[in-house]
Amino acid sequence: MLRFLLGRIGRAALTIAMVVTFAFVVLRLSGDPAQIIMGADAPPEAVDAFRTAWGLDQPVWVQYFHYFGAILSGDLGRSMRDGRDALVLVTERIPATLALTLPALLIKIGLGIPAGIYAALHRNSLADRIVMVVAVAGFTVPSFVLGLLLVLVFAVQLGWLPSGGQEGWRHAILPVITLGLGGAAVLARFTRSAMLEVLGQPYIRTASAKGVPWRAVVTRHALPNAAIPTVTIIGFMVGSLIAGAVVVESVFSWPGVGRLLVVAVANRDLAVVQCILLLVATTMVCANLVVDLLYGLLDPRLRSAPRRAGA
Amino acid sequence: MPEAPLPVAAAPPRTRRPGPPPLVVFGFCWLALMLAVALLADLISPYAYTALDLRNRLSPPIGFGGTWLHPLGTDELGRDVLARLIYSIRTSLLIAFGATIIGAVVGTTLGFLAAHFRGLVEQAVLALVDFSASLPFLILALSVLAFFGNSMVLLVCLLGLHAWERYARIARGLALSAGAQGYAAAVRQLGASPWRLYGRHVLPNIASTLIVSMTLAFPEIILLESGLSFLGLGVQPPETSLGSMVGYGREYLTRAPWILLAPAVTIVLTTLSVSLIGDWLRDRLDPTLR
Amino acid sequence: MREAAPLLRAEGLVRRYAMRRGAFGRSVEVRAVAGVSLTVERGRTLGLVGESGCGKSTTGRLVLGMEAPDAGSVAFEGKPLPSPGSAAWRAQRARMQMVFQDPLGALDRRLPVGAQIAEPLEIHGIGGKAERAARVEALLGAVGLRADQAMRYPHELSGGQRQRAVLARALATEPALLVCDEPISALDVSIQAQVMNLLVDLQAQFGMGVLFVSHDLRAVRQVSHRVAVMYLGQIVEEGEPDAVLHDPAHPYSRALVSAIPHPGRAGQRMVLQGDPPNPADRPSGCAFHPRCPVASALCAREAPVLKPRPDGRLVACHVAQGEAAPGQGILAKAA
Repeated sequence: MLRFLLGRIGRAALTIAMVVTFAFVVLRLSGDPAQIIMGADAPPEAVDAFRTAWGLDQPVWVQYFHYFGAILSGDLGRSMRDGRDALVLVTERIPATLALTLPALLIKIGLGIPAGIYAALHRNSLADRIVMVVAVAGFTVPSFVLGLLLVLVFAVQLGWLPSGGQEGWRHAILPVITLGLGGAAVLARFTRSAMLEVLGQPYIRTASAKGVPWRAVVTRHALPNAAIPTVTIIGFMVGSLIAGAVVVESVFSWPGVGRLLVVAVANRDLAVVQCILLLVATTMVCANLVVDLLYGLLDPRLRSAPRRAGA
Repeated sequence: MPEAPLPVAAAPPRTRRPGPPPLVVFGFCWLALMLAVALLADLISPYAYTALDLRNRLSPPIGFGGTWLHPLGTDELGRDVLARLIYSIRTSLLIAFGATIIGAVVGTTLGFLAAHFRGLVEQAVLALVDFSASLPFLILALSVLAFFGNSMVLLVCLLGLHAWERYARIARGLALSAGAQGYAAAVRQLGASPWRLYGRHVLPNIASTLIVSMTLAFPEIILLESGLSFLGLGVQPPETSLGSMVGYGREYLTRAPWILLAPAVTIVLTTLSVSLIGDWLRDRLDPTLR
Repeated sequence: MREAAPLLRAEGLVRRYAMRRGAFGRSVEVRAVAGVSLTVERGRTLGLVGESGCGKSTTGRLVLGMEAPDAGSVAFEGKPLPSPGSAAWRAQRARMQMVFQDPLGALDRRLPVGAQIAEPLEIHGIGGKAERAARVEALLGAVGLRADQAMRYPHELSGGQRQRAVLARALATEPALLVCDEPISALDVSIQAQVMNLLVDLQAQFGMGVLFVSHDLRAVRQVSHRVAVMYLGQIVEEGEPDAVLHDPAHPYSRALVSAIPHPGRAGQRMVLQGDPPNPADRPSGCAFHPRCPVASALCAREAPVLKPRPDGRLVACHVAQGEAAPGQGILAKAA
């Protein structure tokens, strides 16, 4: 078990190192970082000073190690817009994003999983059909369309709820519903197919043929086994808590990490973009790691075989 | 959904099957219509998509007080929504097709390389797969756009990277099992070059699985492109795409919702159609695919 | 007059695999092939017989050069084999071919069999389009398939017909050596005899040397000019098929022969004692001694060498070579 644990942690660290390398390579490929970060109209002396300060006059591999060291010590650069520390800038936006993504996650799990289980247990019933139609619709309607439709109906036509901004909990209702419905649809579809696959297994038929009550068959045999693949997708959802609301935050002008990212990309504020990139990757890798460990607990067979996240 | 786990190897390639259900037929029809619109855009479009008609700004579509002059209404600059919609369909489909093909080619190639060379090459490919899985694609795409600026070619290539790891995993897994199964090993010992082995034998044998994956990835790419364009970070004006139409139309949500609704409905119907077709194909051709 | 070099000569082949025991276990080295030497003459058949897991299929792959041995050498027509996958190795495939156990698995189910029979000709650039078509038709005739069956897909043929198609493909380039790895064990019993007879006919027609790998001693006897018995990665006896079958010298061969159902010999079956062989846990001395009914103390200490007896038979057994008196077997003693 310890070897399994260490192996997984090692792989997670390797993946994060790859993301850092990716950021480094992309930053170097995109042009002269000094010029980009200082801005095109910066005086040449300032650019040179920046180069020396950041070690940009040194060989690439030395720069690479410096870069790695800086990131490990938490120095993620400064925003070129207001010169503030990028990490601080990003972290102070996180609560706003979580205020949307956490309730949305509850909706996804609370709505998606029961709907999926119910649809699978009552396969081909009217309820199953409805769940499937809604689930397919939830997948094919992009979140910005759903969000704008909700605004059109509930804010513009009915005037019940505000269409954007962040002045109170009422402002969060529409974005949370937008996020939650889409995710619930994905989760319901996934849970249903996982359940159906498990229900088709011989051991379920054996248990039910032996006279085990159907309720017990479902709760003791089917659900735990169907939980294994479902955990992966929930892990992915947890991993995207920080940055899973980019589009929805833009639709509702919600001042979270996603909105910050869009503005930073539009302004080419590279330090902020890079900071968000690393933060998101780290969250995702940690979530995947937890999922891996849960897998180990749920299914001892998978401890030795490598799992490939299917997200 | 793998509702009937048929053994793939035993399924003969040609058997008679019942026709597709009505929803899938609708999907095919809608997709055919979209393709026709995209191919014939120059012929059927009533106006150029940049043509202004300043006297008819924000004119509503037919049925809401509009005239046949602009059947779907006009936007804030008096540009014809129908014409813009037609060109947006062309742009969005072109990007989605290009990106889907790039993803399939890159992923399949890497998967074959991993299966053929094993060892270090395989580990490198698997590490790249891990890397892909560690970043939500939208974030990755946004970062690259931030670093490199925007261009159509970059956008297509970037979207092409979406789902590459899926093809890589499928191609690697199926190539490995083909080697173990026998026919690949048999062809190899006939003296066949790797090109012949993978091109003539392994690829046709896994093509159905790859095609199903492509139909499943295609709507995702449409959604990604429209999402990026909606944020103003994808297709740039004067070019127009379905997502960017929704993005710009959003300013007029209260006064002229038709600007936004026409492309929104098109996006939904197109992704729905391809998804339905993809699900149907998966159940038909390859129930082993998740 | 003898030719200078035999068609195929393998010397002291060893192939090791690393096997992991359990999820966390340390990897164990398994010697699938532990020092095999054999010779296949032109136009003759060597039968290689043994139970599953004794390394006979691995031996087949080693002599074809599909994997490289960890020790020992293979010489084909007097020259060492090129490394697997190289261009020279690929070109050499025209001279040496393999027939597989599972004909359905060995055929590409997306291509008609005619195209697959023509494939070796395309790969090795033999003949033009018309010549290839004629050659495919001739090959189909030679293996007893109709010309119109060239357009059939593998799943549209019966098991026996598929194996005939695999044989036709293997013979397309007129190879000098054919390795048949359990070519009949996936077929119905009624078809097995047909395919074996076909193999004998084809050898008369094409003149290739054959290494016939099988667990079925009767099948081996029917097609072979010589037979070698393998146990745990080593050849324990080699000789003329009739001689080995009528008077097996090695106790393991005797057990194999007695396992053949025979109406006149009821009651004389020799049942092997002890565990089936496990290549990961090779016994000391003679690998067979824990199961041998006549094992003596020497057998547990010292591995016997494969060497000729006065009558010309090659046997690796202390008792059969007269170096040790027949014992009671290790298990009998312990009991």
